[in-house]
Formats: sequence, C-alpha cells, structure tokens
Amino acid sequence: MNGANALAPAAAAADADVAAPGPRGRMPLGALRRRQLAALFWGWLALVGLVCLFLGTFVIAFLASLKEDPLESPFRFVFPQIQPSAWFAAADLGAQAGGGAFWGGFGPGADLLFSATWAVPPGETLETPVVEVPRRVPGSSIARALTTDYASDHAAVEVVAVEETTVTGPDGALWPAARHTWRITHAGGGPLVDRLPFTATVPRGQVLIDADLPVSAMERRGRTASWSNLAPGALGLVFDNYRRVWNETVDISSGERLFPWWLLNSFLIAAGRVAMIVALASLAGYALARLRFGGAGAVFAAVIFSMAIPPQVTFVSNYLVIRDLGLLNTPWGVIVVFTFSAHVLLMKQFFEGFPREIEEAAIADGASHWQVFRHVVLPNARPALVTNAIIAFQAAWNDFFWPFVLLSSPPSSLTVQVGLLSLRQQGAGGESDWGLVLAGAFISVVPVVIVFLIFQRRIVDNQLSEGIK
Amino acid sequence: MADTDPHGPLGAAERRAAWLFLAPFGALLGVFFLFAAARTAWFSLTDYDLFSEARFVGLRNYGALLTDDLFLLALRNSLMFAVIVTTAQTVLALILAVFVNGIVRGRGAARTALYFPSIVSSTVMTLIFIWLFQRRGLVTDAANWVANEGAAIACFALVLVAVQTALVWNARRRYDGVAPLDPYFLIFAVAAALAVTVLLRTAQILPAGEADEPISWLNTRRTWLGMPVTLWSVAAINVFTTIPLMMLLYLAGLQSIPRDLYEAAEIDGASRRTAFLRITVPLLAPVTFAVVTLGLIGTLQMFDQVAILGNAAPIESRVTLAYYTYYNAFPPGGAPRIGMASAGAITLAVLTLGIVFLQRALGISDRAA
Amino acid sequence: MIDLPIRLLAGGFAALSAAVPATAETVRIAGFGGQDAAVVNGLITEAVGDRIAEAGIEVVYEPIEGDFSQFILNALSAGTAADLFYVDIFWADAVFRSDQAAPIADQSVADALLPNLAAAFTRDGTLLGIPKDFNSLNVNYNVDVFEEAGVDVPDADDTWAEFEEKLVAVSDALDGEVAGLCLVPDYARFGPFALATGWEPFDADGRTVLDEDFRRAFAFYTGMADSGAGVVAADVGEGWMGGCMSSEKAAVALEGGWMIAHLRDAAPSMVWNSTLMPRDPETGDRGNLIFTVAWAVNPASEVQDAAQELAAILTSPEAQQWVLEEGLAIPSRADLADNEWLQGDDVAQVASRNAFQGTGDGQVMPYEFGEYGGAWMEPINSALNAVLLGERDVDAALADAQAALDRLTGHDG
Repeated sequence: MNGANALAPAAAAADADVAAPGPRGRMPLGALRRRQLAALFWGWLALVGLVCLFLGTFVIAFLASLKEDPLESPFRFVFPQIQPSAWFAAADLGAQAGGGAFWGGFGPGADLLFSATWAVPPGETLETPVVEVPRRVPGSSIARALTTDYASDHAAVEVVAVEETTVTGPDGALWPAARHTWRITHAGGGPLVDRLPFTATVPRGQVLIDADLPVSAMERRGRTASWSNLAPGALGLVFDNYRRVWNETVDISSGERLFPWWLLNSFLIAAGRVAMIVALASLAGYALARLRFGGAGAVFAAVIFSMAIPPQVTFVSNYLVIRDLGLLNTPWGVIVVFTFSAHVLLMKQFFEGFPREIEEAAIADGASHWQVFRHVVLPNARPALVTNAIIAFQAAWNDFFWPFVLLSSPPSSLTVQVGLLSLRQQGAGGESDWGLVLAGAFISVVPVVIVFLIFQRRIVDNQLSEGIK
Repeated sequence: MADTDPHGPLGAAERRAAWLFLAPFGALLGVFFLFAAARTAWFSLTDYDLFSEARFVGLRNYGALLTDDLFLLALRNSLMFAVIVTTAQTVLALILAVFVNGIVRGRGAARTALYFPSIVSSTVMTLIFIWLFQRRGLVTDAANWVANEGAAIACFALVLVAVQTALVWNARRRYDGVAPLDPYFLIFAVAAALAVTVLLRTAQILPAGEADEPISWLNTRRTWLGMPVTLWSVAAINVFTTIPLMMLLYLAGLQSIPRDLYEAAEIDGASRRTAFLRITVPLLAPVTFAVVTLGLIGTLQMFDQVAILGNAAPIESRVTLAYYTYYNAFPPGGAPRIGMASAGAITLAVLTLGIVFLQRALGISDRAA
Repeated sequence: MIDLPIRLLAGGFAALSAAVPATAETVRIAGFGGQDAAVVNGLITEAVGDRIAEAGIEVVYEPIEGDFSQFILNALSAGTAADLFYVDIFWADAVFRSDQAAPIADQSVADALLPNLAAAFTRDGTLLGIPKDFNSLNVNYNVDVFEEAGVDVPDADDTWAEFEEKLVAVSDALDGEVAGLCLVPDYARFGPFALATGWEPFDADGRTVLDEDFRRAFAFYTGMADSGAGVVAADVGEGWMGGCMSSEKAAVALEGGWMIAHLRDAAPSMVWNSTLMPRDPETGDRGNLIFTVAWAVNPASEVQDAAQELAAILTSPEAQQWVLEEGLAIPSRADLADNEWLQGDDVAQVASRNAFQGTGDGQVMPYEFGEYGGAWMEPINSALNAVLLGERDVDAALADAQAALDRLTGHDG
C-alpha cells in the first residue's frame, strides 16, 4: 500500500548512511521527493476516481431522468434535452404557440410555423406527409381519464410552403427532398393546453431528414413521425418528466395531484418525529446520564437491545397496535412507532460530557431536577439537539419500512418513498414508466440534500465520531 | 459523584424525576419494543391469520420452518449476504482510506461528495440501481465492454507489469527500499501500457469482441458462489451506499495514528506492508469493530432493497429473513400466516443478538491483543 | 324475522330517497390501478353516473398500484377495506374461505349471469361476488409490420408451427429489428398452449401432473425463443407482451380485450388487427383461459345495502354495454352475450368478438386454481423463466416444477 506517510520521510533519508549499511545506498533526496509527489498523485487520482464513481452514478441517472425514454439502449449521452439548439427551438415554438418560452403550451392566439424535411431514394417520388394534431394524452391512462382539454379540439393545420431541395442520403447519393412548412393556429377561445402533439405520416421508404424540433418517436415502423409536444418551451422540453410526475400522478377519485401530498406527508412525519425525538430523547438521555435510580441498568439494556433488533421482528405487533388505535394510514402511526433508542443514547453521551458542577450548584440552591434540566442543561445542549434533529429528519424522510407497512390507501396518504414504489409498480403488466420514476426520485432527494448542504460539517463530523464510539 | 444520599429524601426526588423524565420514551419503548417482542414470541407459538382467534400450537411453527424451503433459503441468503457485504465493505473501505489518506488539497469537497450516497434514501438508491441493472442497462453495457475488450485489458496489464518490474529491478540494483509498486515508476508504467494498448487497439492488432448480450442481474435464479445473483446485485447497492461512510470513518481513524510510529518502523527497517499490518490495522481495531458491528446489524435486517425490487426478481432469489417475515405476514394472494412470520422474526432476533454477542466477544479479545 | 319490518321500512325509505336524493351514502370501492383506474372512473362518472346519483350513493374510488390481493386481504384484516372491492378469480378463494365476502343479496343479479362465470364465484350455493366482465386471449398483430416484412398475417386456421413460421419470417425479413412475439414467463400467457394439448391442471386425485402433453406445449412455447420467433420481453425492456407490441418491438401480442384500450393510449397510430389463438397441430384444438374479476361486498361494511346496490348498478346492462363498447371486456350477463355491437368490423369490435369466441372454442379453462390460488402457478412460471433465460433445460425445469407442485398439493408420496 503506498500511502504517502508510509514513504521514507526526509528526516529518515538524511541519516540514510547510518541506517542502511551495505553495498547499495538509499535513494537520493530528490528521488524520494519525486516518489512522495507520485504517491500523492495516485492518491489524488484514486480520490477523483471514487468521487466520479459515486457522484457519476447519480449524474447518469439524472441525465436519464430527462430523456423521453430512460430505458433506451444503447445509452446516448447526447440527446435533445441537453442540446442548446433544441432548447432554443423549443422556446421559440412555445412562444409562438402562446404558451411562453419557458413552459410552452398551446393557447388562444397561437400561430406557429413548423418545418420538417423528408427525402426519398433517387427515382422515387416524394409524397406530401399526411399531418394531424392527434387527440393524445401522454403516459398513463389515468391522464386520459382526467384530461378534458385536447389541443386537437382547437388546432387548425395548413401547409404554407413546400421547398424542393436535395440532401445527401444515407447511402451517400443525392436524394430528392422537400421541406414542408405548416402553420398551426388556435381557433377561437379555449384554455391553454399543456401539449400540442403532432404526427406526420409518409409512405414507407420516405425518410425524415430534419425538423425544427427533434422528433419524439417514430411510429408505424418509421412511417409516422410523432412529436409528443410541438410547443414544449425550453423548460417543458428539458424537464418534461418532472412536470409529468408532478401533474399527472393524480388521485383518480378526487383529481388531486399526489406528488405534493406525498411530499407533505413526508414533511409531516419528519417534523413529528423530529419534535418527538428532540423533546423525549433529551429527557430520557438526561435521566440515564445523570439521575440515579433503581432499574437504570435494565432501561439501558432495553435501549441497547432495541437498537440491535431489526424492526421486522416487532412489526406484526406494532402493526396490530397501530391498527387498533385506528392510526393506520395516518402520519401519526408512522411517527410514534419509531423507537428512537439511538437518539437517547446520543443525548446520554452528550450529557455525560457536560460539566457537572453547574448542575450541582443549582441543586444546592434548591432547584428541582426539572428546573435544572429546563433552565441549566437544556440551553447548553443546543448543538446536541440540532444534531439529533438533523439525523432524525434525515432518517424519517428516508424511512421506507414503517410507511410501507402502515400506509397503503388512499394513495394521497403515502409518503414520498412509498409513493415512488407505487410509481414503479404502475402500469399494465408491471412495466414502469421510468421517466416518472427517476424524475420523482430526484425530486424526493431535494429536501435531504438541502439539509445536508446547510449542516454538512455537523452531520459528517458527528457521524464520524459516533461511529468510532 | 453527587453528594446526595441516594436513600434520603433527595434521592427519592431524584428517582421520581428520573422515572418522570423517562416516562414518555419508556412508554413508547415498552409498547413498540418490549411488548411487541413479547407478543411476537407468543404469536410464534400460535396459528393466527388475523381473521380468526389465535390458536396455541406450541413449537409447531418452528418445526414447519425447518421444512419450509423458502425459510431455509432466506436463512442461507441472509447469512451469506451479511458476511459477504460486511467483509467487502470493511476491506474495501480500509484500502480506499489508506489510499486516499495524506491527500490534503480537495479533501473537504471530496468528503462531501463521498458522503452523498449515504444521505440518499434506500428507495431512491434501489430504484436507480434497478434502472442501471436492467437486462439491457448500463451495467450490462459495461460488462459487455469488458468482455469485448478482454484482449486490450490483458495487453494493458501485461505491459504494465513488465515495465514496472523492469524499472523496479533496475533501481534495486542501486538503491535499497524500492517498493514493487513504486509510485513514481508506476506513472511511467501506466503511461507506457496505455500508449501501447491504444496503439495496438487502433491499429486493429488487438481483436475486439462483439458481444452484445443482455444479462439478467435481477430477474434470475442463477447463483454465484452459493448466493443468488440477484442478491449479489443488491450487495452491490449496499456496498455502494455504505463504503463512503465507512471509508470516512477509517480516514478519521487514520488521522489519529501518530506519524512517528511509522517513522520509527521505517528506521527499524520495517517494510510498508509490515507497517500496515503491524501498526495501521491494530490501531484501527476500534474503528473496524464499529464498522463490522454496523455492517452486521445493517445487513442482517436487509429488507428495503428486497421489497422495492418486488416483482422485478423471483422471490427465491431475493428472500432474506427480514423479508420472509413480512412475506408471511402479508402474503400476496393468501391469508396472513402470522405464526410463521413470528417464528421467522424470532429466529432473526436470536440470530442478530447471537452474532452481535459473538462479534463483541471476539472484538474485545482482538482489541486486548 | 323481527328485522323484516325494519327491512321493509328501509326498502321503502330507499325508494323514497331515490326519488328525492337525501344525504348521499358514501361507498368506498377498491380496484386495480393502471388502466382499470380509468375504466372504473369512466364507469362511475359517464356510464352509470346518473343511476348512482339517483340511488343516493356517492362513490369514492381507490385504485391500488402493486399487488392488489395482498392489499385487500391486509385491509380486510385491518378493518380498513373498502365497502366494495375487486376479487380476481385466481385468488378469490383466499377471500371466500376467510368469510370476507358478503353473500350477494339480489337474486335477480345472480340469475342474469352466465352460469359458468357465476359458478366461479359461488361457494356452497351462495354467490359471493358478481363477475363484472370477462376476457380471454387472442392473437393481436401489427399490420404494418407484416406488410413491410411481406409475410401473411396470422389467421384463425394457423397451427402452432404455422404461427411460429410466420413470426420467424417477420423477424428475419426485418433483420431482427422487430421480434415476432415477446415471451413472458407467465402461465397466464402460456396456459392456453398447455390446455390445447388436452392437458388438465388437476387430475382425478387433485394432483397436477406435468405430463407429455404439457411438456410438448412447454417446449413449443419456450422454444420460440430459440427458433427466432420470439424474444424474452425483459430483453427489450418490456414487462408484458402488450408493451412489446405497442412499442413496436414485437409484431404480435397474445393478449385480451384490454389491448384495445392499451393501444389506443400507447400507440394511437398503429394499424392492427386480431385473430383467434393458434391450434395445437396434434389435437387440432385451441386452448384459452377465462379471466374474470368480480365485485365483492365487504361483510363488515357499514353501508351494506348501498354497497350491494352499487355492485348491482356497476354490473347492470348499461354498465356492461359501456365497458364492451369502450373495448375493454366482455359482459358477464347472459342477456348481453348476443350483442349487436360485437358483430361490427371495427378493430375494437373484431378484437372483442375474438375474445368472446375464444372462450367457447376448444379447451378453455377459467384462470383459477382452487384453494392454491396464485401459488399454484409459481412453479410453472419459475420453470418458464429458467428456460427462457437459458438457465435450465426443459426437462430439469419441469422436474423442479413437478416437485414443487407435488409439495404444494400434498402429493409428495
């Protein structure tokens, strides 16, 4: 292992002639220095490699979460959602369609021009594409059930220009081509619709060369070019999956969006756990650290045991208790069922390191234990309380098991973690809409990342010292 | 120590305060841990489906466990998983920590970056990994690439070893203390190997395979070294999530080892390997103890990843003891088998405690040595 | 007998309240997520929304993603289950055996059902769930793909061999860009082939014997992966045959009437058609499975009568005709079997007609396995999976499956 500190330091090299008798000498100082630098270089390279491996996984998954088909194989690193040219085209089309350059949409006053070029092998005739603004909804059939406004009800399409050209075909020869420009207008009033789907169908053999906006999918074996949204706007193009998971994950009976509910439930549960743990763990921790009472040993043993025993061992009874209390499918059940022994232990360790003299002085002045705790100890325990709160928040937000067992229906009662699982299980035949799953996953990470970035020093240092104890 | 008499009136007040302070936590611990554990033990002796009354059946559930293939599989999977993952993450974390130790510049940023996987929820990690481990996903692409570039990789390794050996051998004729992996020579060896390989590969002298096979990482009944491939994939998720944290633990431990110990060893003529085995490893024993304990407790309760996999993998390839318990309590398409679930749960509890005690006993003797 | 006057009163009150909707009674219903969510939603808002309102019922629908059977048994034991819920034929037994379905009160509803469907949900002469509709498998194919490949489309006279030949030809003509068929390790798709050979899931002793006939069907189905007729669905990133077809990764999908709605959503521009399942070349028979789901009333429901009434409304002729014409499933009521709509030439009508005819042609069995529920399929699915993934050969996989089935059915000597 070539850690730098294992290399001969300069001091050792200085008395090399004493330490190493024999025909061969120690390396000269310059050579040793080079070795030290080289070792540092390798260590640094390893660190960079590790960071790339660990963060790169998330970066790649994030890229996939932007794609229209995250499962595409082979994986492309260049795709419309990350190409500036596509952003500008999307912004331009979104603005023309009356929905704005950012989030796009198709609304009253829309008047947009869209061009695309098809070519045929030499000798064949080019046919005019048959175009349509189809009555389509994206993704799930739930979206179909709840969609009331379709761009197809308002859109009028006409050809405004056909420009004959030639292009270099796939075989290298010059192919006759035609660039068609359509004008799509919004007839009359009506709402702003999120999407303007567009399809153009040509005979077999005619090839789509180029279009103002990259095509979303080729259907009917390449005959039908399909754009899922001709007026996406720049953000609407890039973050389409994010918008979908936010807007289209809905409770079918109420029509309410589920994702905000899931986030809210997660917040409520995390807040409830933090409040419970900060208050109760410090009380219990103080009692265990400072107060002398018969049975302290037994309580401490129970605390230690409960940390080693997995929750799956006790979950049947806990499920029944929560059920009998009528707290199934409520945040309360998930809050109280969590045994926070580790937090009690953390507070106990903190209080044990707290100088005793102040408390004793207060007791001597006739203060009760509660007064000592409330007015002397607690104000000085701020750092430990904050640390406890952060760890509790993270653990509660990320908790999977208890929400999984205790929350099942209605869909708006889930937490974001269990909600993500329900997204993965959605769809006939069990295939997942990975665009929604990955986008939802990245949204769900945001709160813990924010907390982490604000408190990172404290979290990392604390975890490190805790682990060693 | 406080100067109050524990049996006097002040002592009584202290006892009262203690119980009051403990009451809320104690009540929750009592209901959701002690009572729950006791009730699980009782359920494990009954036949109970949540619909009709529980019926006492003695030890019959435990007998049934021994003939239940799924339970035996779960037991085996859990044990292998715990041992494999704990070993892998401990060894890898230690090696990486030693490697990275000594870097000063950019370390804070790296620490933050490496900590990232441990703040992400197991749900998100698992979903991302399920996506990566699709039959035609990126992991498959990577595996195919390695298979296809086998010749190039072998060539790289050969040239690397040859150049490094030559340089070290040459230097050893003149100097003492040239390590086989001399870091300075390694730069040249790697550069040479890379150059030769890229040259031969672009000149098409090294053949490249054309494998483009889909590989089942999750939905498979294959086993490797006695553990289902699915669980190896789950092990990869687990190691990936825990290594950074464990590595940071080791780094903190390494910082606390006094530098002059190594210097003394150097003067005594100890090789770096000896120094690593005689100084680094023993002095890091407390960290190792913590890492192994955390690892064993964490891996024995492997549940989240397995549950999130769900129908993406056959039950036999992903079942662990913790999941067996849940699977029997809420079986798909059948009435709950609470008795069997509880018997499985008690087995899991006994196993966990047994392993923790055993490890504690060994860990303490190790530290004393 | 004491409660008779009360019932009469209640009935009278219900009649009154129908005329003047008083405070609506809320009935919670639970069903599958995904496509079904949209279907039930359409049913309660469009098709029979008025009748529900007239009956003074307010419906709250809870679609469940993931394993519904697990969810509902869980909820029943916890006392949180919906008043009215789906019961799928293949795990109905678990619900019925634990007395978690109330007898269907309205005899006229029971009498109107196709007898074989009613029988599947009847225990000891009592109807415990109203089958809402049913379905069977047929061969759905992408017309464009067959045209481009220059191969004849599948037809009702195809034997297995001819069917396989066409699929291989399609795949070859298009250089493997489109597979013939996606294969899934699922008895729900493989079953019809096994049944076509004359094989029966249970012999006279109640044992499942994977005999020579079964082996022949098994070898044919899994062999389609080797002959180039099919690919494993997971290999092309799909979970089911229908997904492969709608994403144009496969030319053919063996699916039921639900493909109509699926293709309408997922591949609206696709030109497709359907035909009956291919025949076993030896017996000359087709095989098929009948899939059906019933509405069951929660016996612990506090709005028992309203739930019963809602179940009747949701399976009324109007409701079923709507479901049929939306191209979703075939009515379970005998009086709707001879349906004018089914005679049309629209692709949805043809597909529905095929699904209907599929249940009356050749060796057809309901998709149910008595007391064993879905667990019965596990060994077979597991064997299919192992062979399709190339991890086991046919004989070894079947030996494993036979052993597991014997353990399950208690016939291990």
